[in-house]
This record gives sequence, C-alpha cells and structure tokens, in this order.
Amino acid sequence: MKVYNQKIKLGVIFIASLFVLSSCSDDYLDESKIYAEDSESYFNSEADYYNALVGAYDPLQSTFINVLMGEIASNNTLCGGESATDVPGYQQIDDMTHTPVNEQLQSLWSWMYGGVNRAAYIIEFQDKTDFIGKEVYIGEARFLRAYYNFELVKWFGDIPIKPEGRFTLGDEKTVPRSPKAEVYQLIEEDLKYAIANLSYMAPQIGRATKGAAQALLGKVYLFQNKFIEASVVLEDVIQNGPYVLETDYNKIFEFTGENGTGSVFEVQYTDVEGAGFGCLQCSEGNVAVGFQGVRGYQGDLFTSGFSFNVPTLEMVNQFEIGDNRKDVAILDIDAWSTTTGAVFTTGYEHTGFFNRKYIPRKRTANAAGDLNLTNPNNYRAIRFADVLLMAAEAFNRQASPKDDKAKTYLNMVRARAFGNTSNNISVSGQALTDAIYHERRVELIGEGHHFFDLVRTGRGTSISGFNTGKNEVFPIPLQEIQFSQGNWNQNTGY
Amino acid sequence: MRKQISLFIFLLFAVYSFGQKITVKGVITDESTKDPLPGVNIIVKNTTTGTQTDFDGNYSLANVSAGTVLVYSFVGYQTKEVIVKESTINVVMREDSQQLEEVVIVGYGKQKRKDITGSVSLVSEETLDILKPIDATTALQGTSSGVAVNLSSGAPGAKVNILIRGVSSNTNNQPLTIVDGYEGDLNSINPNDIESITILKDAQAAIYGIKGANGVVLVTTKIGKNNKVPTVKYDTYSAVQQTTRKLKYLNATEYALVLNEAYAASGQALPFANISQLGKGTNWQNQLFNDAMLINHNISLSGGGENVKYYISASRTEQDGIIAKEKSNFIRNNIKLNLGVDISEKLNFSLIANYFTSASQGVDGSLLFNGLNYAPTFGVDEDDTNNFLGIEVVNPLSLLKNTFGENNGNGIEGNFSLNYKPIDGLSITTRLGYKIYNEKQRSFFPTYDYGASKVYNRTQSSVYQFKATSTRVNLETFATYKKTFSEDHNTTFTVGTSVQNDLFDGIYATGFDVPNNSYSFADISLTNLQSDQRSFNTGNGDIRLTAFFARAQYNYKGKYLFSGLIRRDGASVFAKDKRVDNFWSITSGWRISDEDFLKDNETISFLKLRASYGTLGNLVGDNLYRSLLNGEGTYVFDGSLVDGTAQGGLPNPQATWETAEKLDIGLDVNLFDDKLSIVVDYFEETRKDLLIQNFPVSGIFGSGAPGGANPTVNAGSSKNTGAELALNYKVLKTDNTTVNLSYNVTYVKNNVTEVLGGAFVEGGAFAIGNLAPSRMEVGQPIGYFYGLTTDGIFQNQTEVDAHPSQAALGSNITSPGDIRYKDVNNDGVIDFNDRSNIGNPQADFYMGFNISAKYKNWDFTTYLYAEIGKDMVRNFERFLPNVNKPNYYLGRWIGQGTSNSIPRLTNDATNNKLFSDFFVEDASFLRMQNIQIGYNLSEDLLSKVGLSKLRVYTSINNLFTLTKYTGFDPTVNGGAIGAGIDYGTYPSAKQFLLGLNVTF
Repeated sequence: MKVYNQKIKLGVIFIASLFVLSSCSDDYLDESKIYAEDSESYFNSEADYYNALVGAYDPLQSTFINVLMGEIASNNTLCGGESATDVPGYQQIDDMTHTPVNEQLQSLWSWMYGGVNRAAYIIEFQDKTDFIGKEVYIGEARFLRAYYNFELVKWFGDIPIKPEGRFTLGDEKTVPRSPKAEVYQLIEEDLKYAIANLSYMAPQIGRATKGAAQALLGKVYLFQNKFIEASVVLEDVIQNGPYVLETDYNKIFEFTGENGTGSVFEVQYTDVEGAGFGCLQCSEGNVAVGFQGVRGYQGDLFTSGFSFNVPTLEMVNQFEIGDNRKDVAILDIDAWSTTTGAVFTTGYEHTGFFNRKYIPRKRTANAAGDLNLTNPNNYRAIRFADVLLMAAEAFNRQASPKDDKAKTYLNMVRARAFGNTSNNISVSGQALTDAIYHERRVELIGEGHHFFDLVRTGRGTSISGFNTGKNEVFPIPLQEIQFSQGNWNQNTGY
Repeated sequence: MRKQISLFIFLLFAVYSFGQKITVKGVITDESTKDPLPGVNIIVKNTTTGTQTDFDGNYSLANVSAGTVLVYSFVGYQTKEVIVKESTINVVMREDSQQLEEVVIVGYGKQKRKDITGSVSLVSEETLDILKPIDATTALQGTSSGVAVNLSSGAPGAKVNILIRGVSSNTNNQPLTIVDGYEGDLNSINPNDIESITILKDAQAAIYGIKGANGVVLVTTKIGKNNKVPTVKYDTYSAVQQTTRKLKYLNATEYALVLNEAYAASGQALPFANISQLGKGTNWQNQLFNDAMLINHNISLSGGGENVKYYISASRTEQDGIIAKEKSNFIRNNIKLNLGVDISEKLNFSLIANYFTSASQGVDGSLLFNGLNYAPTFGVDEDDTNNFLGIEVVNPLSLLKNTFGENNGNGIEGNFSLNYKPIDGLSITTRLGYKIYNEKQRSFFPTYDYGASKVYNRTQSSVYQFKATSTRVNLETFATYKKTFSEDHNTTFTVGTSVQNDLFDGIYATGFDVPNNSYSFADISLTNLQSDQRSFNTGNGDIRLTAFFARAQYNYKGKYLFSGLIRRDGASVFAKDKRVDNFWSITSGWRISDEDFLKDNETISFLKLRASYGTLGNLVGDNLYRSLLNGEGTYVFDGSLVDGTAQGGLPNPQATWETAEKLDIGLDVNLFDDKLSIVVDYFEETRKDLLIQNFPVSGIFGSGAPGGANPTVNAGSSKNTGAELALNYKVLKTDNTTVNLSYNVTYVKNNVTEVLGGAFVEGGAFAIGNLAPSRMEVGQPIGYFYGLTTDGIFQNQTEVDAHPSQAALGSNITSPGDIRYKDVNNDGVIDFNDRSNIGNPQADFYMGFNISAKYKNWDFTTYLYAEIGKDMVRNFERFLPNVNKPNYYLGRWIGQGTSNSIPRLTNDATNNKLFSDFFVEDASFLRMQNIQIGYNLSEDLLSKVGLSKLRVYTSINNLFTLTKYTGFDPTVNGGAIGAGIDYGTYPSAKQFLLGLNVTF
C-alpha cells in the first residue's frame, strides 16, 4: 500500500510540474530579447524623426541609375561598356529595344519606391510626437517624396500613389496607377508644403532647402506645360534665392566645386565606405561615375572605369566654337592620351569621348573599395543654370511670351560659357525656343536631363529607334504587372 | 496468518514441481571465435535474480531451482534460454548477425532493432574506424540508405551538408543533430569518440517536432562499461594528399593560336605575332596545387568499476590544403570526458563533455577561377598591368600572396543528466544540455595593385576582426513507464518537456591603414578608426523554444507493434498567434516472421512490415513578423557620413515554420539464417508552407531601398517521392575468413507543387549579365536549371538563314559556327521565352557499395559511392576575349562539318555565351571513397610486450572518380536554389594514409 501511495504521489508531482511548466512556457517565449528597434513603435523624439529623415535621403544616392540610364536613353551618348551584352538593360534602352523585362528598369522602379516609402514613413507618423521645428523635418520628407515620385512619373507615367503613408502588402492589387495629373498634384502639394516650411539655408549641407523645392516645383510645372506657374515660382527662386552662377564652369564638376554657389540641390556622395556589386543602391558613392570611366585608364587626373555612356560625335559637335564648356564636358581620350601619355583600352561602341563631368578623378588614400563603385562625386541634381534655362523656357513658351526675360536668363548662361557677351542670343519666338533647347542640351550634357527634355517637348524622334506614342515612357516592369494581378495595365506599346 | 498459509502452500507446490535449489556454473563462449564472453547477463526468467560472467566468461549463480529457465543475454548476441537440469551449463552464444537485438536510440528512448517501427539507418563505430573521416558526417556518405552527403568545398574544415531523402526545402535541408541528448553538430566531434550514429528518416522523428522535418541524426558517444579494466587505445595516421583532379586548359602556344583565330574572325589585329617562342607557358594550376599532409592522433582511456564507467580521450587533427597549404589548413583538437556514476541502484548520474578547438585558414573563393582564366603566357610573378585580361581576372599567385585570414574557435558542449528509477518500470530523466562556442576571425586586406582598374585593387589596407559567442542551453525532463499486462501486452509511455534557449552575441570591427601594410601589424589597435566610417557593429540573437511531448508504444507479443506520439512546440521567432503548433505521428509494425505460418520457415528468418505517418516541422526564419529598423539609412551631410534609421526587410506577421507530412512503408527481411538482410522503404513527403526568403513582392513597398529585403513568406509546397533499398550479405564467415558485402540505393524525386501566386522563385548566377539560371517552379524540382536548349552548331549560312532570328537574345550577330538554339515554345522566334528545364542539380539515385573482408590477420575494405542523374553548371569560364580557355576549344567549329557542339571562336558579341545546355553537364559520378588493407599482429607476439591489439593499415581515400563532368569535383554541391553551379570550387583531396591502431 505504501508503494502504491508513493506511485500516486510521484505521478501527481510529475503531472503537476508539467502543468506548471506548461503555463510559464508561453511567457518564456515572450521574454526573448533582441537589441533591435521596431518600426511601428518609433518616432518618440526629435532624434527619431531626424534619423528617419536621414534614412529617407539615403535612396537619393541610388538615383545614379536614373542619371546614367537617362543619359544613355537620350541621343547624347551610346551605351558602351565591355561588350554588346554588358548590362543588357542599358544596351537595350540605348537602342530603344527595351521590353518590360529589364533588370535596370526594375531596379529604378524599386529603388525610387524605396525612397517614396521612407519619406512616407515619416509623413505617416508626422503627428505622433510634437517638438519645436518639426515642420522642417516634415517639409524635407515631403520634398523627398516629391523628388522620388517625380522620378517615377518621368520614367513610367501613371504610377500608384498613397498620399497618407507607406504602401502595405495587398495594395498592389487595390491601389490603381493614378493618372499623371493626380501624381503631379500630389507632387505639387508636397513641394508647396516644403516651400512654406523650409528656408533657403539648409540646417546641414546636403539637406533640401526652400530653393530646391521651388526649383523642383518649377520643373514639375514645366513638365506639365504649366508655363505661367513655372515662371512664377522660378522667378521667385531666381530673385529671392541665394544662388549665383559659378563663374568657372570647370570648377563646378571638381570636388572643390561641390555644394557651390550655383548648386540648388545636390545628391551627396562619399568614398569612405566600401561597396560591392551585390547592392549597388547601398553604395555611399556615385556608382554612375565608375561606370562612365575610361576603361583600363592609367594616367593623369583620372582613374579607370567601365566605359559606359560614351558621348557621340554628333553630340560633341553641338558645342559651338569658343564654348568653354566643351573641354569640361567632353574628354577626347585620344587627344588627352597624346598630350599626357595616358594609356587606356577600348570598350564596346568606343567613340573616343567620355562624359568628363562625371568620370572618376584620382582619389585619396582613404578611398574604400570597390573603387569603381564608390566615387565621391556629388550629383549636381539642380543647378542654377538649369533654373535659369527653365525660367527662360517658361517665359518664352507661355501664351503671351516674355522673350526679353527669357533672353536675359538664357544669355546669363551663355555669357558664362563663352566668357563674353558677344555670343548672346537675340532671336525671339520659336527661334528662341530652339536656342533654349539647344542651350539646355549642351549646358546639361551628361547630367541625365536630355531624354526627358526631348520627350516633354515632343522631340523624341531625334533619338534613333524612338517610337512616338510608346517610348515617351518606359514599360512598367513585367513582375509588377504580374504582382498587381490585373490591377495595373502596361504602358502603351509594350 | 492467512498470508503464511498461502506462502506455505506455494512453497510446497514449488518444491513439488521444481525440486531442489542448486548452484549453476558454467562458461559462456562465442560460437564463431570460441572466445569466452565476459559481461554476459544471466537472469532467472521473470525475476530480477541474476549475475554476469567474469573476464574469463565464467559465471556462477546460486539458489537456482531445477526446472527454472535461465536467460542469457549479451549485446550483439542472440538471447538464449536454457532450462536448468544440471549444475554445469556451458552456453555457446551466437552473434546476432542482424543485430536485431541491438538497442537503438530513437529519441527520448531506446528500442531493440527488431521492435522499431520507423525507418532508421545506423552507422557503427566500425564504419567510422575504417573511413577515418575528419568530419564524421562524411562517414554517412554511401553507408546509409536515404542519406546524401555533399561537401560545400574540398577545403580543409569546409562545411559538410547532409541531405536526408532529398531536398524538400529551399531554405534549410540540414537534419537536426542530437549528440547524447543535446543539440550539436558533427563537425565539432572527434569521430573516434562516436559509438554509433542513428538516422531517423521518417515520421518517427516527430518526437523532435518543430526541428524534425529534415530528419534527425542521433549520435551516441562512448562512455565505457561497468566492470571493465581500463583500456588504452592509441590511433594515429598520417597521409599525403593531392588534388583529385586538375582541369585541362590550353597551354601558352595553344592559347595564342586560339586567340589569334578569334581576333582574325572579328577582323582585328592578331595579339600574338610570334607564337613559336611561347612553349607551354605557365601552368597556373600546377602553381596552385600542392601535395599536402594530414596527420591525426587519438588516444583514449575507457573502462569502469562497479558504480562508475568512464571514457576519456584526446585527439588532434591537422590538415593542410591541397591548394596553397601555407594559407589553407585546418587544425582541430578535442578533449572528451564521459562519465557515468550509479549513485544508488535507483539514481544514476552522467556527464558528457566535449571540448574542442579549431583553427583554419582559407583561400579566396575565386582563387581557382583566376587560376583557370589567367593567361598561360604570363610569367609566375607577372601581373596583368595593362588590363589585357579585363578587370576581373588577376594573377592567382598575387591574389594568394595578398590573402590573409584566420578563423579560430573553441567551445565546450555536452550535458549533465540525472536518471531516477523510483519504482520498477518507471524512469525519470532530467538533463541539461549545453553548447558554448567562441569564435574569432581576423582578415587582413593589404593594399595591392593587380593592374589597371582591376576589381581586386585596394588602395587602403584594412583589417576586419570578429568575435562572437553562441550559447545554447537545453533543459529536458522526461519520464518513461514500462509495463506488461497479462504477459503479452507490452506498453511503454513517455511524457516530457523541453526548453531551449539559443543566444548569439557578436561584435565586428574594421580598422584602416594597417601599419607597414603587413599582416604582422593587422590588429585594430594599430589602425586608424575613421569616425565617418562605419567600422563597428554588433549582432545578437535570442531564440527560445519550448515543447511538450507524449508517446505511447504498444506491442502484442512483439508481433504487432504500434506507437503514437504528439508534441506541442512553441518558438519565439514567430508572431504570438503563430508560434505554437502540434505535431504527431503514428507508426506500426507487423513481425510476420513471428506468425505461425512463417515461424519455422527455412528461408525467411525475419520479416517485418512497417508503416508510419506523421507531421513534423522545419524551424526556419527568425523574427520574420517584426518590422525592424535594421535597414541602411546612411547619407552624407556636411561632407560626413550620417547614420539614420530605416526599415530593413519587409515583415510578414503571418510567417510560420515549414511543416512536413511524411509517409513511409517499409519491409525488413532477413534470409538464409540472417545471412542476407534486406531493408526496403517507399516514402512520400509533402512539405508545406515552404518559407521562401526574399519572396518577390511588388517594388512599391520599398524593399529595394538600401538594406531592405522582400518578406519571407510561406509560399510554396513540394513533394518528395522515393524508395530505398539496403542489402547486406554475409558471404562467408569461418574461423579465419569473413566476407561481407553491402549495397544501398536511394531514388528520390522532388517536385514543387505550389508557389504562391503561380510565380516562380529564381536564384543562382551564371557568368555576368545572364538571367538567373536556377528556379523553383511548380511541376519542376527545386533549383532546376532554366536556360536555352542548343540544337547543334550552324554549319553554313544556309542553315543560319533557314533558322528563326536569334537577335532577340541580345546580339544580332549569328554566323556559321555559332550555337543554334531551339525554338522550344515553337513560336517562330528565338528569345528568352525559349528557356526551359535543362538540368537538375540533385541526383535521381545515390548509392553506396561496400566490401569488407578478413582473412586471418589481414583485413580489407572498400567503399564506393555514386550519384546518378545529376547535372552541374560549368561556370568557371570567364567570357572575355583574352582569358585562358578549357582545352575543349581545340575541338571548336572551324568550318563546315568540323564540330556540331563547340561554337567557333570570335571576339564578336555573339549569343554563344548565354546560359544554355552547352554549359550544363552530366555530373553523375562513381567515386572510390576508400580502399584499405590492414594487418593485425598476432596476439601471442603482442602479449609479450603487453599489448592486446596492434593493427597497421594503409588506406587511400578518393582514389578515383569516374565522371563525364569536366569541372574539378562533381561531389561538391550544396544548397537548394542555385545548387550545382560550379565557380571553380576547391576539389576534394585524394589521400594516401598510413595508420596504426594500438590497444593496451
């Protein structure tokens, strides 16, 4: 009987202990501790807003692909590279044979939406914590969202937008591609908020200013042919902003010219952190610069690169005699090699010319590798010369043109280019429009604007292989169409 | 009073029936060797009265009644029952050839092999002794049916992958490894310490619930035996190692000729004006490969007293790499202490401890790639300064010279276990398992200029250092109660609980500008830490698991066997409402040979039918439900880097683990007095909720931003179907000769049955700029190769003109001599839509064959291993005009009718370099893993010098590999999506061993 009792006792203890363990076990799982911040419980202090804002600036660095691929798409350059199959996505866009299956277009789409979501993350939580000066953070966040959305609408036309915040899983099946007009409306609202809340002086170099927001808004109006609105906002920034043209065009594109007096908005890069091909968008350097460098180059001033995006002779010939910008914008490698003894090898579609503004310069010993992917050259996203030429165009193309004003701004740019006023333009009307277009092309060559200038002014056909009614925008990546399960239609012609 | 009366009556009856009590004595010997057997258990049937034989096989048991039955049992021998008739009973015991009586660990319990109702494979100490694996995992290759073992690389210390019954998951296919009850790894264990390895392949493993789906490898280490004199064993071997293969590449003259032809074909100036002086040039493979040594020492002491048993060992393995041995090597030291103490009859304590240290150096993964592609016309010390070979190929010796790094690790693992048997049949075990592993790494990246704009160039030196500690603690308590009802109904109940915590804590840092650009100064303390460089980081993890389980086993007369179990698992890595689930399984067996109609069958000595079904989990994914701010949000303000915050991977609150449903039907047959044993199994596994990492979702969610990632989603299902057969034939067994043959073969077919949204998942990489070559897609095996199909070579322009244009593939150049691609979808256009299944990296069949023989003092063994029906991708060629090429290009197309498989040479951008079946090769192979001859010195001789055993042997590992594959090593594989793509992997070594085993 004693043994039997003992059995029961043991059994009870054992089973009881199991129950005790059982009830604490689920709590035990909850106690798991990892040192990590959760996105939904963030924005508790000014520092949180600041940190998230830094995160929203970060994807600006991935716009290197917009600049590089935008330039390749235009008639300024050929794709180049190592061979005809080196980065097929670029090669196809150069030849206007691109399809919805294009790795680089897919990257551009997802990287820009990366930017949109990071900016929207702050906007979504804008009311969570109050502190003095919050409107500056929100203003910058809205500027950035506008910047990214503007890139997307330029490249793809109608795009899905979500004014209230981030996209969440499932939205791809319910949120439609908003018509361009609606996208532009959101961009305008974001920029107007930024203009109202930012000042001309940035709290830190690299952050967006009122001037940057105004210039971008002017550009956004121009893209919609809203010339009056464009002229008003651009005139405002010209008259009231702190910008003056840098007298030496050459200086602008050297390291010493970064964030200079003519810089309205500049994407910041550095070479102190390494990068690899596995995550180009993670590089803190300007990836486009290495891609455009001279293949196998050894010699003065520059370092080597992958020989993409090589200017054509036709483009080079656009420079008028006496235009000081030519030798700044274009590197004639054969001539350079002859005078300096530099050596190089040739890649695919070798023209002998390189985009000198953005080819790799000699680096400091602190530069981190892969050196091809970490060039520290800032991208001068909006230059004052661009603002002046946009203003000129806006005044010239509005219903009742103000050509004198247009000529004034155009000739400011030309006077710097030639170092005198004897090359000033005096024509009016359509001839002036053409002169402004031409000036934009040579002033801004290599900076990724020309393709979109051609398209928005109906001159796309000057690009070989361009189909009107199709190539004004690029195809939505095929995967995206598939994910939307019928919610999004492909662009016409693709 | 009544009690006494009944006792009296009972005794009277007993005396009447069984007569007088006597003392029984005798000697027990082995049937074949005639040697006395020590340690044999003798008990009076149905009592606890009994004894054991002494060292000379003698026993004596007093107070035995005549007519009672004595049961003689000994591990590995058939149990014998003898009715007591006289006082001397000498018993000859027969080795249980099929080891049906062998006790097998099956997870929270043990079972005799004949009672097992699941599918298990066993690898014994003998197999490990013969194969001398450096990592015990390699001993499973070819020796156990259903198990495939692949090296991730042939480099010393490289990870070895185990695959049980094929690839089911695209994330993790590694089985759970349990060593003496704690969760461990085979690579930290000294193979000499292992007593046996059991592999649970079917639903029986459901007792391990959330971690059981990939199968379970149960390792038992040696712990000594009670009442055994101390035995000291010393084992050593040393070996010379060579590469199993070098690839046939062009020598300098051939290379120059081939290049000239390609340039001529493109209308370019010839790069080599004079080829007569070139000769053979530099053979870069000969520069890289070397003979290397391998040395192992192992010493152990084991034995036991009445209440204590112990096993202590120490070992050291040193292996140099067959490539650049000064920078590629591995050292492991182990110290093992296993101790068992019987505190009382009811209470037992055991300690298992394994201390290990490892040190390794490795070469750059692209070393062989550079060795193959670097031109033979360059001198040994010559860098490609002028960019002749493009930016991605550099002098491999320079690369080697600039490779510096070492990994060091040490750890201790094991468990403390307390076993309490309060009453007859009940056993309660509590054990604390632990594993602490400290790891440190140091890598030095000196500045070096390999030539203009080479991607390997470094202008700033740096040193990376990493230190981390992983800790695992596991507390388990379980109770087993055994009871037999009405003689024939045998039941065993097990209930238990398990709590586990895995912690990780690491710190990483990089310092720049190493003094003197030298490894001797490569320490962060001597470097510059630039404030705007993100050079510090930490990592941490905390995974918690809890489980409860219960199992009931029942058999009727050992003939009809059933077992059912249920396990509830919780894991902290999933969302609160997704972290708990139940797993279960049922297994059953029918020992047909115990039925009357088969009992006395002459041919069939044993026959058992088994069936099992159940659900198991595969724990993959960590914190998938949380949206963490671990993205990269770094930008430049005021000219300096500023770290902000950003979301990392997209969260998936719905994520949960993968689950498997496993079915197994098997038959165990022994024929001809157990001479031939056959094990056949048919199996099916459906793996659901496959966790697909980085599952493609729309870009609008922002996962493309730096440090972002797509969510991990339970987005697929796959099904494995297959069969295995294992044969063992004891050809001969006489006093001085034994011959044993065994063979096993496994067939497994994987088929993806669902991918969410009908999409596919792709991965892997081929050359540069090609579309992803590997896919997971419904109706196809996981990770199959997806590319273009070739249809010979265009022989002339007419053929080119007759074929649809291939321009949509990227190049509009198509000439005679170029590859003709098949219009697979028959739409009249050749484009990327013509890609289809062109190969599978997972073998259809894998098999092992073993012969072992003994004649007098000689022994001979060989193991062969084969995989049939697997493909690999030749991805070690770089398609640049001037790099060196494999010598198959000598058979290239040079005019009509010259070749219909190898395209012409040209520098034009043709479509010939696209991913197609031209680059996919049949990588089926047969490898002689081991051949060994040993000699045992005679015992008479040895006893004079105080030794009990001395064996010398010579052995060759990987003597030959028969394969059509042209890469280095068809056995190197790994992963799921992206497996089988060969970048020029470090091949396995051929090893010539000389060894010695001594027992004192």
